[in-house]
Amino acid sequence: MGVLEIKQLYKSYDNHEVLTGLDMNVPEHSIFGFVGQNGAGKTTTMKIVLGLSKSNGGGITVCGEKVTYGETITNRNIGYLPDVPEFYGYMTPMEYLSLCGEITGLTKKQIAAKGEELLSLVGLADEKRRIGGFSRGMKQRLGIAQALLNEPKLLICDEPTSALDPIGRKEILDILLAIKGKTTIVFSTHILSDVERICDHVAVLHKGKLALYGTLTQIKEQHRHNGFIIEFLTREELSIFADCKELKKPSINLSQERNTLTVTIADANTKGYFLIDLLAQKKIIPLRFEMMEPTLESLFTEVVQ
Amino acid sequence: MSHYIAFIKKELLESIRTYKLLIMLLVFFAFGVMNPLIAKLTPDLLNALMSEGISITLAEPSAFDSWTQFFKNITQMGVIVMVIVFSGLLGTELSKGTLINMLTKGLSRAAVILSKYTCMVLIWTASVVISFLVTWGYTVYLFPGDKVVNLLFSVFCIWLFGVFLSALLLFAATLTKSNYGCLLITGAGVVICTLCNIIPDAYKYNPLSLAANNMNLITNTMAVSSLYDCVWITGILSFAMIAASVLIFRKKQL
Repeated sequence: MGVLEIKQLYKSYDNHEVLTGLDMNVPEHSIFGFVGQNGAGKTTTMKIVLGLSKSNGGGITVCGEKVTYGETITNRNIGYLPDVPEFYGYMTPMEYLSLCGEITGLTKKQIAAKGEELLSLVGLADEKRRIGGFSRGMKQRLGIAQALLNEPKLLICDEPTSALDPIGRKEILDILLAIKGKTTIVFSTHILSDVERICDHVAVLHKGKLALYGTLTQIKEQHRHNGFIIEFLTREELSIFADCKELKKPSINLSQERNTLTVTIADANTKGYFLIDLLAQKKIIPLRFEMMEPTLESLFTEVVQ
Repeated sequence: MSHYIAFIKKELLESIRTYKLLIMLLVFFAFGVMNPLIAKLTPDLLNALMSEGISITLAEPSAFDSWTQFFKNITQMGVIVMVIVFSGLLGTELSKGTLINMLTKGLSRAAVILSKYTCMVLIWTASVVISFLVTWGYTVYLFPGDKVVNLLFSVFCIWLFGVFLSALLLFAATLTKSNYGCLLITGAGVVICTLCNIIPDAYKYNPLSLAANNMNLITNTMAVSSLYDCVWITGILSFAMIAASVLIFRKKQL
């Protein structure tokens, strides 16, 4: 059973369809990268999961409980970090966490202990200033602290790194990695390098449905092209190699850029060994010989186009 | 209940740190000081401004003039200041998104409305009490011996009017997302009340009467009992608006 299960979710705003039968399943203890273009419906999906927005059909369960629109009990299992979290600027971080703690029903002792633990996790332990004077990165970190306060089973982060500088981004990603295993994290973003860095599962939302779904390795496995990149020391070597009659087949496609030759083989049964044999025959040792590995970026562009 | 208490603490802290409470108390304190003084000094001021040769006779200022100032100030400036100070109470939280965080933590939406209303009523009460006490003290000092009747009931009426207006304000805030929309709807509500007075005898039940007849009460030209219906109606309307706010806010798309 997944921590978050979405079945056939529909949502439209004034004739503009955002979600058209979205199915998604977030397994427990995963860091789930939820990727999509701007306006793909990532935030909409999250708002529906939180009961803040009404769906036009479909069902959602969080930890096996059904999400209802409006006040929903499922929220006690969820920690939410909005894309630009807004806090009461007149409070100090600890005061804010106390308020959150009182609302979630923690005792004073628990609040004090948990609050300190979380503030030091996000590096705001010694911050006595009021939140009004915080930078975006600090607010984002405080956002994570408040989201984790009730030890949620599901942490939903809406583009937590999009508006931050590289250091701020690294800090957020490190914090998310640090809490992996304790909770399940759904992490929406359009920064693909962040996904590759911390996520183990990935879903690409496109045209209201998931265009791509699975673990990162699975997805790459499925979309691997039978292709090789060979870099030669000199251009002569390249042309000697490229002129081999074994490569003049319709199923083999060559493309050349400077000293690098990219060989894509349409026939999945033809393995790359023959290329190595061929190199040996011609007594050429390449500078680099590698299998073409799909990047998340290339996959993303592929499914979104 | 715990949500309600936690959020009241937050609302009060907010009122203090964002100077809402300070502004209200200062303005109403200033009214309190000004009311008797203006009543006392108006004749002297007029005389000083008059050029030679013109003389006007003014009645000797009395406690009634002081209370006239009190009720005029509160029903005009006081109410306006209150509406402006409180107009953003819900709207700002919705447009900035500060409330989203709290609601996703399971904060009950009824608690939001009720605690905000409680806070508004508390601040309004404190403001009216301060203004009343200062005016009363000064008036007794400056105009000893003047007798006024039904003073507490008259002040209660104006207080109740503020309570009604706070409910209207909060109700308006649940209907729209922006502060201006909220002000507009509140204004419209007051205009509707005013228009209702066209109907003969409607004034007996119109909440506006609570803010219009205060002087008649203390000069005993109007019987206290003639406003009882109005008090009930206003109380019921306020309650109904708060109940409606809770219901609407529960289903509001955020």
